[in-house]
Amino acid sequence: MMAPVSVISASGVSMVFGNNRALDSLSLEVPSGVTGLVGANGSGKTTLMSIVLGLRAPTTGSVSVLGLDPLRQGAELRANVGYGPERNVFPDDMPASDFVKHLAEVRGMPRSEARTRASDALWLVGLGEERFRALGTMSTGQRQRVKLAQAIAADPSLVLLDEPTDGLDPVQRDEMLILIRQISTDYSIDVMLSSHLLEEVERICDNVVALDAGRLVAQGRLDELVGDVEGVTVELAEIPDVPGSIDAVAARLRAAGLDVQHDPGFTRMDVLGASADDIADAVRDAIADSGARTRRIEQRRRKLEDLFHAAKS
Amino acid sequence: MTAEGNAQILDRGYRKFDGQRSGVWGAVRSTAWHSTRSVLGLGRKARHKIAPVLVIVVALIPAIVYVGVAALVGGDEFINDILEGVIPDFSALPRGSLAAIALFTGLVAPEALVRDRRDGMLSLYLSTPLTRITYMAAKLLSVGGLMAMVVLVPTLFYLFGMTFAGLGPEGFGDWASVLVKILVSGTLASLVYALVSMAAASVTDRRAFASLSVILVMLGVLTVVQILVEGAELSINWRLLDPVNMPMEMIARIFGDAGEYPALATERIYLANAGWVTASSTMLWWRYRKAGA
Repeated sequence: MMAPVSVISASGVSMVFGNNRALDSLSLEVPSGVTGLVGANGSGKTTLMSIVLGLRAPTTGSVSVLGLDPLRQGAELRANVGYGPERNVFPDDMPASDFVKHLAEVRGMPRSEARTRASDALWLVGLGEERFRALGTMSTGQRQRVKLAQAIAADPSLVLLDEPTDGLDPVQRDEMLILIRQISTDYSIDVMLSSHLLEEVERICDNVVALDAGRLVAQGRLDELVGDVEGVTVELAEIPDVPGSIDAVAARLRAAGLDVQHDPGFTRMDVLGASADDIADAVRDAIADSGARTRRIEQRRRKLEDLFHAAKS
Repeated sequence: MTAEGNAQILDRGYRKFDGQRSGVWGAVRSTAWHSTRSVLGLGRKARHKIAPVLVIVVALIPAIVYVGVAALVGGDEFINDILEGVIPDFSALPRGSLAAIALFTGLVAPEALVRDRRDGMLSLYLSTPLTRITYMAAKLLSVGGLMAMVVLVPTLFYLFGMTFAGLGPEGFGDWASVLVKILVSGTLASLVYALVSMAAASVTDRRAFASLSVILVMLGVLTVVQILVEGAELSINWRLLDPVNMPMEMIARIFGDAGEYPALATERIYLANAGWVTASSTMLWWRYRKAGA
């Protein structure tokens, strides 16, 4: 089998459920590495994952994963794909090692190999000492790790993780993200993780596919999409004698053709544009004219959030 | 150099797999075995083992009793003649376990199917080489195999027991013929019971309700048919709708016996069983066509 150019390739994929268009003419190319599939709840992330796994046929369009057609070569494809579902419910009375071993076997590992690989995978995710505990007695964080272990135990080429940090506290979330990054870096396993938290995608992903209401907002390498200095974050205070001065600053900057992210009534705004110097000048002039008091101005790097903001506006 | 001198601790850690994967059949086999273990309570707490083991033992009791009696008092030609008039034919033995079989249908299919739907395993299975159809094939293999433990295994035990007691079929040809008939009829009947109970269990994600649903289909239809034929004195062909007795009738007809309802034509009995298989398979396909996506 020739090495595919893209890990996942989709062309004109739409998915319609009754009157609801879950995915709308989606075309994307996902290269190797860790890819973040981002979007709000209901944006079509899980639907896209089920199409990638071959569990649903798209209404229109075609998909290729690891060079295979998920609909016609689904069994062959899924033997090489690990999947961690969002749903966090597993057989309560089953020890973690049996659970991971069983799924490794179902994904094609010989029985003896499955046992050792299950153990290795559980050690890798930090549950080596806990591997004989029943799943029902484990914490949410441990169960998320078990989901990751079962997804990687059969040595997949690609792992799909649906909201892998769901329900985790900040420390557990950090640990999970480090693990996911490690799996890709140390073992050359491509990962696509879905998340509605842009910050965690920015932390560990090489590539991004951003969806909004079933439409593609952005795709590409994360460092090409975000990261450049391209604006300022301004925090202002209102002087009682000049009510509405902050809103006036925002209005003036918008009138100058800048992209201003500011909710009326709030003291903070992000001002985006092509040139940081021009933005800084415009902000200075707008503040001076409106009579607002400056609390903080700092350079701002472009974030994933901006892509969504730009797409909506 | 001593063995201790050579000792090393090897940390293999997570590594790549270069071997041959077992493919779809491996996935089916593994899922079926896992499901069978789960139903029998293997690897689970003792309380999960009680009901299935009890029902299997109850299903074996008639065969054990007959074989025991034959082994204890048989041997003499005169007594053997008497015994042959008392002990059931190979085709009739499974009827002695009918209550256990009906009870087992309400136990096995709900445990095999409902757990996966309820605890999210189904969506995980469908992310493996299994498809909905091969997943159902694995479950059928498991449920059918378990049903065979109460439909087929007692008759097999009966055959071997009677053979050792000197009351088995005479000559190797007859003996082999009976063995084949037991295997074929037992497998087909187990398949019918498995599919009917799986279809009935597929209507809900609650195990207790699934058991109730299976019992309702098996015993409910049996009761209605009984009322129609015995009470309302309608045509005996209504008995063809009975999912409990028709597999038993099929076993009898495969052995060439008249069975419990000689008035029913053999072809109709085969058709009735085929009808239950078709209806149950359709129901399962319909219930699982979008499940787990």
